[in-house]
Amino acid sequence: MTSTLKVQGLRVEVSGKEVLRGLDLEMSSGEVHVIMGPNGSGKSTLAHALSGRPGYRVLDGSVTIDGIELLTLTPTERARHGLLLALQQPLEVPGVRPIDLLAAAGADVRDLRERMREESLNVELRPEVLDRFVNVDLSGGERKRAEMVQLAILRPKFAVLDEIDSGLDVDALGAVARRLALSTTQWGCGVLAITHFRRLLQELTPTMIHVVSDGRVVATGGPELAEVLERDGYEPFRVARH
Amino acid sequence: MLGCARYTAMVPKTMKLFADSASSFIVNQPDAMERRRAWSAFESVGLPTTADEVWRYAPLRDLDLDSYRVPDAPATAPDTHFATMLASRAGLVVRVVDGFCVSTGAPFDGVEVELIETIGSISGVDFIDHYAGDTFAVLNGALSPSTTVIRVAPGVVVDRPIVVVNSSNCSASFPRTQIVMGRGSSATVVEYFEGGDQALVVPLSEYAIGDAASLQLITYQRLSPSAWHVARTTGFLGRDARMRQAVIGFGGHYNRSRNDAEMLGSGAENELRTTFLGSGDQVHDFRTHQFHKAARTRSTLLSKGAVADQSRSVYTGLIEIEKGAKRTDARQTNHNLLLSPAAHADSVPNLDIRENDVVCAHASSVGPLDEMQRWYLESRGVTRNDAERLMIQGFFYEMLTSLPTELAGLVESDVTSVLSTLERVLS
Repeated sequence: MTSTLKVQGLRVEVSGKEVLRGLDLEMSSGEVHVIMGPNGSGKSTLAHALSGRPGYRVLDGSVTIDGIELLTLTPTERARHGLLLALQQPLEVPGVRPIDLLAAAGADVRDLRERMREESLNVELRPEVLDRFVNVDLSGGERKRAEMVQLAILRPKFAVLDEIDSGLDVDALGAVARRLALSTTQWGCGVLAITHFRRLLQELTPTMIHVVSDGRVVATGGPELAEVLERDGYEPFRVARH
Repeated sequence: MLGCARYTAMVPKTMKLFADSASSFIVNQPDAMERRRAWSAFESVGLPTTADEVWRYAPLRDLDLDSYRVPDAPATAPDTHFATMLASRAGLVVRVVDGFCVSTGAPFDGVEVELIETIGSISGVDFIDHYAGDTFAVLNGALSPSTTVIRVAPGVVVDRPIVVVNSSNCSASFPRTQIVMGRGSSATVVEYFEGGDQALVVPLSEYAIGDAASLQLITYQRLSPSAWHVARTTGFLGRDARMRQAVIGFGGHYNRSRNDAEMLGSGAENELRTTFLGSGDQVHDFRTHQFHKAARTRSTLLSKGAVADQSRSVYTGLIEIEKGAKRTDARQTNHNLLLSPAAHADSVPNLDIRENDVVCAHASSVGPLDEMQRWYLESRGVTRNDAERLMIQGFFYEMLTSLPTELAGLVESDVTSVLSTLERVLS
């Protein structure tokens, strides 16, 4: 079944400042949408607002998956409706084990350890790393691979990736990108990737690229848009504030 | 969990029956003279009152010594399932019933277990002098059947954990343990306490960590919620010695745990973590004294606990740094979590520093769980209740990281079973 994620007129305030100023976006299962834009354009705010992070105040707009409004739901309910956020800097949760997190998140507990092991190997992560507490004593690369293991076990309808490629070496980036690409065919995961860099796109072919500036989508196009950005930068896409 | 409402007496109490049972126990002991001296010390100090600052938070009006009797022999009771499982994962098992060591375990390379019937302290000072003023410690001096001494020979690395199973089946027990780590040795020891229904349990432990030796210690207290538990432990650390101690407290109507470390040799290092979960009308009273007597010594202390229902907790910690203990680094952190509006937590950190060239820090907080960590779990689809339960359970799991995996797994599942009986207080 094809699902649709729809963001309409989303306005979000952080620390008293309106960062998203009417953002629109629509995507379907199995698609890869990439959001690019200069620092401060609101890219990360979009990711956090979608998952209901404390401190992100929605002023207006709507976010739906298959017509179900997410913005009135708790972060837990949003996740249970198929939205998963992978963070730029996955948080440490001392004392909590990944396997307990996944079981509590609703993963099928049968063979869970074995499936975690397989999924670790898929992203070239040593399975023992997941015996540690969530993200505690993991390197930046290990954390992001660990987020991919969560993704693979929880199988969300839509995965939102907040600059998951920053601070990764080429090997880790490749592993993450390949895992995401596989998820689009494996269970039709829709991938919304927020990135500064084009290199993620070498192994993860985008369906669409959206350029965000000043809290709005200012341009949308195919993969060729990434090349334009690479060549000309964001300047041509900037819009004047009003 | 059961509350304990059997103590209601408000009238001045006598302790004649308790004293009679103590007297008939003492008379049969080989060092009766010394024990009588300890008993006199106990009588002259007397039972504390809440007017004493260090007993301010104890529900002393519930303490009726005359409801307890000093046993002259251990009562027999079958091991609990958990104690059996714990023992099966140990390299060496020492069993103590009602303070009487009933088994010193099978012979174990490099480790010797010995019972000493006279009163002695590792401190080098006479026991009664060393513990003068501490009513319950001198009471342990008078009434402990013997000291269980576990000695690890110099240079020996004990690769499987040593487990001391303390069960209390009588109304009063006074276990006394000493662990003596030879120079350069290393071991992991679990001191486990169970039983204690309507009982007074007064354990006293001392640890001597020789130069460059290392002791990992887990004290796991699972006594009945009706017990009075008044424990004291002291580590004496030599040069470059290391002691990592984790103290977990679940049981007790009143659970008092005093955990001290004296860093006597330069480069000594002490890490202490204490945690507890209070429910019903429990009082958890944690006291620590990190005493830096030599240069370049380090102490790290983390006390983390949660109180539910009408329970309360007290954390009182003292960092003391002697003149001359240069480049000492001492840190003390206390986090308390309130799970109900009627629960209460107090935090009293103290510093006594007589040297300038030191780094010393303390922090304490009383409040809710970390909001961002909770959000992270929720954003994966974990419900708020489950996220909070996992995080509180995490307080305890963090205490167990020094244990070998299979032993940690066993204790973790026991912790989880305790927490699941408290589901209502966590939701």
